[in-house]
Amino acid sequence: MDITTELRKIVGNRLSVSPSELYCYSSDASQVKGMPDYVVRPKSTEEVSRIVRLAYENEIPVTARGAGTGLAGGAVPVGGGIVLDMSGMNRILEIDIDNIQVVVEPGVIQDALNDALKPYGFFFPPNPGSSAMCTLGGMIAYNASGMRCVKYGTTRNYVRDLEVVLADGTVIHTGSKMLKSAAGYDLTQLIIGSEGTLGIVTKASLKIVPLPKTRKLVIASFENAEIAGQAVVKTFSNGVIPSACEILDRVSLQVLKRYDPNLVLPSEGDVLLFEVDGTESSAREAAEQIMKVCAPIAISISLAESEKEMADIWAARKLVGAAVSRLDPTKSRIYVGEDVGVPIKQIPELLKRVQEIAEKFDLPAMKYGHIGDGNLHLALFIDVLNKDEWDRLNKAADLVHRTAIELGGTVSSEHGVGAARAEYMKAQWGPALEVMRAIKKTLDPKGILNPGKLGL
Amino acid sequence: MIIMKNEERKNENETSEKNNKELPFEIDRRSVYKCVQCGTCRSVCPVFDAVGWESANTRGRMLIIKSLLEGRPPSEDVLPSLASCTTCGICSAKCPAGANPPEVVEAARAQLVKCGVTTEAQENLKSAVITYGNSFGETKDRKHWLSETERSKLPKKSEYVYFVGCFDSYRYPEFAKKTFGILQRFGVTLLPDEQCCASPLLRTGFKEDAEKVMKHNLDQIKKVGAHTIITSCAGCYTTLKNNYPEELRVISLPEFLAEHLEELNLKKLDFTVTYHDPCHLGRHNKVYDAPRKVIQAICTLKEMKNIKENARCCGGGGGVRIGYPDISLELARNRLQDVPEGVDYIVTSCPLCVRNLRDAGGNIEVIDIVELVAMAIE
Repeated sequence: MDITTELRKIVGNRLSVSPSELYCYSSDASQVKGMPDYVVRPKSTEEVSRIVRLAYENEIPVTARGAGTGLAGGAVPVGGGIVLDMSGMNRILEIDIDNIQVVVEPGVIQDALNDALKPYGFFFPPNPGSSAMCTLGGMIAYNASGMRCVKYGTTRNYVRDLEVVLADGTVIHTGSKMLKSAAGYDLTQLIIGSEGTLGIVTKASLKIVPLPKTRKLVIASFENAEIAGQAVVKTFSNGVIPSACEILDRVSLQVLKRYDPNLVLPSEGDVLLFEVDGTESSAREAAEQIMKVCAPIAISISLAESEKEMADIWAARKLVGAAVSRLDPTKSRIYVGEDVGVPIKQIPELLKRVQEIAEKFDLPAMKYGHIGDGNLHLALFIDVLNKDEWDRLNKAADLVHRTAIELGGTVSSEHGVGAARAEYMKAQWGPALEVMRAIKKTLDPKGILNPGKLGL
Repeated sequence: MIIMKNEERKNENETSEKNNKELPFEIDRRSVYKCVQCGTCRSVCPVFDAVGWESANTRGRMLIIKSLLEGRPPSEDVLPSLASCTTCGICSAKCPAGANPPEVVEAARAQLVKCGVTTEAQENLKSAVITYGNSFGETKDRKHWLSETERSKLPKKSEYVYFVGCFDSYRYPEFAKKTFGILQRFGVTLLPDEQCCASPLLRTGFKEDAEKVMKHNLDQIKKVGAHTIITSCAGCYTTLKNNYPEELRVISLPEFLAEHLEELNLKKLDFTVTYHDPCHLGRHNKVYDAPRKVIQAICTLKEMKNIKENARCCGGGGGVRIGYPDISLELARNRLQDVPEGVDYIVTSCPLCVRNLRDAGGNIEVIDIVELVAMAIE
């Protein structure tokens, strides 16, 4: 059977086998590489189902891809085969305010959904740094989250129902518009975070929440990252739950200032950004409490209330990861070991150990991330034309992953495992990994769905 | 809209991969590896917005260039990606890593030319400029819009020269007439034998050919003794300013007009316009305020949805209109969606933008800034 001809029958000219096009789909934002044999851009559930059935019958790997902003190679076809570029299925099908939910196709961009919801006074809270381009399908597949996870949770907390194409092309629904259900296994939760290894999401019902009336931002700087870590622990133990709690170490600060010199940020120390939201009085009360808790150990504390000031800081913060070459044009940030997480109490220890690792391998490091939920984004940067620096980088990243597991944490808090972190799954999960493998075998007996991922 | 017919080209590509000349593909590696593949450009690249394939996005282009640097033989297969960039530069403006993709794409196009990998449209464009001194292959006199008497009276020497450009000379001679009509009051003259500024050659990779044309124009400028060049085309402006020797003072027509507002004695007009920032005037050279100052001296300005650094490209530049007209016009239609309600004209300050926005078929008249100024003078 000529697969090209068969695929063309399904999607017409939304198929490419051009070497250049295939090359463009051979990577995402990670270092993982894998060349597909075909790229298709489906427009409907029916097309996805027919493609997957064709792949199933011919035992061809199928890898779904959203915007390719992933940092673990999740959308990279390491086993070749078909890449399903889902970004063209990008319609918001229903905004159902009465049931406080939306129905979307998987290619809808996160920011586009929130732009559409704003006039209704609602929003979809999980907000990765890549919200301007990442797709909701990708967010569901990787249980993505972002800066507001500390209060609002991850994508997992917002999915009511998924339409999923299974490995043999069967289409199922995993839930409904109901708020709750006590009938059977929770397949919705099984699919979320399964990285396209169990099925392809073609539609999703998502819970939305009202936009807060106001937000305020407390900016506090500390002598070092460890003390900043202690301030986070103290804030939580005092009963304040900020809507975001971010750390920016001094290197990150320099990068941000280089990116936008007008940003209102402290000039020294390691900085914490505490965002609080709610009504004017509740937000003010929470902000004041945070300032009181931090005062004894901080170098400086300030409060940003203007919308523009806050928006500028968050916009810059979102891009800090890639902006490091503003500091030194010969260095690039490489996304490895960038997403570890530990229980909140272990944050100061993680920060200390990570710094030691960076120093041991003589690598400049930038530490930032969602410290409020224990998620540290370590940015190691190297000269990409220097092989020795690559070697040291990979060794350092390996040690960072093992350190997180040792501290009772995870190798990935929100970016996913993909192929980049597959080797750590055994160490993190032990015998539970066998349960995952059994589920995979049952739902995808021929192993065609995104093979080579999750350590399965 | 034409979706790139990638697969149809496969067999053709296999042949050309075998046949391509064995020349090394060289480009500053660091400028390419600056791209960390984060995909931020997906949210802004206007060509990607219209086409949808990853190869039509800046990140895809950078990846393809990486693959060529890493030894993949250059072939025609890369052209739908690398030749479809309008070099609008919105990706550079948004790139957190500080990459400059239009520069990289232009460098890659130059390497492809060296390797003999070009589109037919590119070759036609080059041949027109080289043979006829203009990008349209026009054979008539470049100053045909002046009468013989007017031509004979042109000052031989002046410190100021109006560089007309191919578009105003051959497609919009009425713009040229109006522009020169204003500039003449300030003692501005024309070059005795102006040729294409070389922008089409530079943007599409014909660097060596461009050098020859630029030298011709420079000799002409020296002959006239001018120290300042005024141009009303954004493409000519960025080329004269950034590709010609630095000692040349280049100003755009909106800048010149803004500097001389009082002397122009403009009357107020009772209508509202919006302004489209040409990429090569705005984002590439940061000329944002001058055209707005001129407009506001005449009438009410109501801004488009995306302006200045965030202005979306009209699709007219980078050789895309000639190579991929369907994509180019789709960009223009997308740009028209940014036009606010209740405006009488869309004003811009580049003839390429005028053409593309007019051809996109909106229902609001698109005019050049010089036409607005002429209305206020009449």
